Amino acid sequence: MEKSRTSVTSTPISSVSTRRIRRRSFRQSTRSHFGVASRLGLTPGQTTHRFNTSRKAPKPQNITEKVSPEHLALLVKTEWHLCYVTPLYRFRHTQLKSYARQLSAFIAAEKQQGLGVEVGGLQDTFKVSMSVLQGLAETNDDPETVLIQVQSRPAFARQDEPLKTVWSGWLSCINGNPEYLHSLPKDFTCLPLFGSRGLEGLSSLVKSWLRSTFDCFFGPLDINQTTLRWLAALWTNCHMESNIQHLKMQWTLPAAPPLHVAYTVNSSDALALWRSVRKSRAADQEACIEIEEVTSFMEGLTSHFYRHFGVDLSAGDLNQVSTALGSAKVKGRMKISSSRYLISTLSLLTECAFLKIPI
Amino acid sequence: MGSVLLSSDWLIRPRPERRFVLKFSVASASAKPNKSRSLVDVLGLNLPSGNMDDPAKFLLRRLVRRIPAQMLKATLEKWGRLNAEQRESLNFSQSKWALTQELEALCEESRLTVKHIAELEMIYITENPNQMMWHAFQLLDPEDGALAVELMQFKELFKCHLRELVRNVSVKIKKHTDEAVWIRMSWGEGFSRLSHLNATYVVHYLQTPYVFVSGLSPKNKPLLLQVLTLSTKHERIKDANLSGRKLTAIRDLLLRQYEHVFPTKYPSPLTERNQSVSNLHTEKEQAEASAKRHQMAGQAFGNGVLPALQSAVYKLETKFKDPTNQTMTEQDEPFRCVVKFSSTNLLESLRHCASSGIASTPVAPLLSSIPLKGRNYFVITDKSPSANS
Repeated sequence: MEKSRTSVTSTPISSVSTRRIRRRSFRQSTRSHFGVASRLGLTPGQTTHRFNTSRKAPKPQNITEKVSPEHLALLVKTEWHLCYVTPLYRFRHTQLKSYARQLSAFIAAEKQQGLGVEVGGLQDTFKVSMSVLQGLAETNDDPETVLIQVQSRPAFARQDEPLKTVWSGWLSCINGNPEYLHSLPKDFTCLPLFGSRGLEGLSSLVKSWLRSTFDCFFGPLDINQTTLRWLAALWTNCHMESNIQHLKMQWTLPAAPPLHVAYTVNSSDALALWRSVRKSRAADQEACIEIEEVTSFMEGLTSHFYRHFGVDLSAGDLNQVSTALGSAKVKGRMKISSSRYLISTLSLLTECAFLKIPI
Repeated sequence: MGSVLLSSDWLIRPRPERRFVLKFSVASASAKPNKSRSLVDVLGLNLPSGNMDDPAKFLLRRLVRRIPAQMLKATLEKWGRLNAEQRESLNFSQSKWALTQELEALCEESRLTVKHIAELEMIYITENPNQMMWHAFQLLDPEDGALAVELMQFKELFKCHLRELVRNVSVKIKKHTDEAVWIRMSWGEGFSRLSHLNATYVVHYLQTPYVFVSGLSPKNKPLLLQVLTLSTKHERIKDANLSGRKLTAIRDLLLRQYEHVFPTKYPSPLTERNQSVSNLHTEKEQAEASAKRHQMAGQAFGNGVLPALQSAVYKLETKFKDPTNQTMTEQDEPFRCVVKFSSTNLLESLRHCASSGIASTPVAPLLSSIPLKGRNYFVITDKSPSANS
């Protein structure tokens, strides 16, 4: 432990060497993904997807025309707990009503173990509704997003009181990798991104029902360091069109006790720095953003920090990035505050989920 | 209610033989509201029931919610406003909601008012000061006799000066066990009732130039600061730029009640090691570097136990300088950002960072300024580097 620490310390301060460290960590993250694939003995031939080193700048979209306002209100401004899901076997978008009945019977059965429960019978404690959240799909290959909501009546409420939504979740695929989607056998539907909000117990019940019904697997979707850096850069880039107010990043350094650093940068200064590291200076909206640009943006921020405090942030972990447009935490929590960038953020997360799926 | 409401001072005496004194005062205190109540009844004013008005009930409820269940019994005992019989009738194992109902009934029975409930709050806060945000202020330019101000005189002066400035305020002053003077103040808006819910707490260690304040509204700030300056016989007071939840930590940092750092404590450049085990050059070099870092970390933060300060904030408005980024370096405008360090023990973390190499050594002046200057809020600009380095 001491030795590895020394290697960090003896690193010269020049930005060239910090860049080397960044590159390495990035490469490791991609390699570990391939490690999973090769361990399963599957040919990665049909699965060429990997983490993009270049992506389009997020375009603000007026999504309100495509998605109903209720659905939109549900998606934005709440923090979602993210998971990845392997492709669902024999899932039909046309049978959502019957799925909802089965799921509510399942929840009722689990909640009152030992008693018989009739499928489709009157469940007075939990009511499940499943619906298609239309308008989110970007390409023809993307399966439509599915929304699941669990409603319940408070314990001592009267019969005529309205039900309260106690849990909501969705399964989504936005701008999914077309090659991968095409390579799937006929009976599989790929909705790799799962977001949930509400009681932890209900989350695990819904997940276990989906797991047994569609023979799929759930795993935690961590938003890794590279993705967080991407988000920091992409959100800063958005400041050209909509005010991000600030760019806030949080690091944790491995000191004893752990040292947390919150670094909040004024939005227009962050944008100025971002513009200075862009290769295509002509602020071309269509230009792609390269990973090198993201890296030098973060390097600029950390070197400014180092100049004042002599603390090397790359020794710690970036674990949260937030702006007025949303926030992302390393533990797989994501909040999207602006509907204009909903699609672009969900595409990025779909990509992360695809990387996690063991192929 | 618009009249001057300066309640009598009260002292908590932990020694058992003084309990009687306290009980006497209970008796006399409960007699007074009794009288006033009968007067109210005669006048036909419709008070709901008993003499517990809504603010008192609200304060009591909030207080019971705040005090952890296991501490409630001991705190009520120290309060001493309920007699032993009443305290024994309380069932502390039930839910807090039910307990609050019982307590309310008992307080009504003993005809306790909002002032008495405020005493309970003060007892709890005095013993658990780490629940609020404390701001430190520094007194400057002491007058003659500033060092001779003792408790009675301070109390007199404080009340006297306060009375000159504001009328609608209630004050309680007491001396805590560790020589600190604690002041609880409830302010009233104009002629409206005193708001006992958002009380200001002031802690002052006599004969020191520091005052710690919590829950002070910007409106009352100039008033209180003026009163404090006058009653401690100083001429000026300023914000010490130090705040935190742990009162003990910020106090220790300012009053230097922790192991001091003396540069002479670290005199030695490392003595030459035995050269016979010569082939491990690298190891030696690393050991030297590591020892050097430990020494530097010690120089900045000392080697002993450090006050558990929890955060430090830097507002940076400095130019962006980076040899690899020409565009930004050429800009005249400063790069605006705010950096907040936080930890369960910030100084401990920073010392560890320096000795393990996460932070470069010698420790950056901005970081070593925290213990050196006893501050945890800094505004850094390019124009006045002397103010911050």
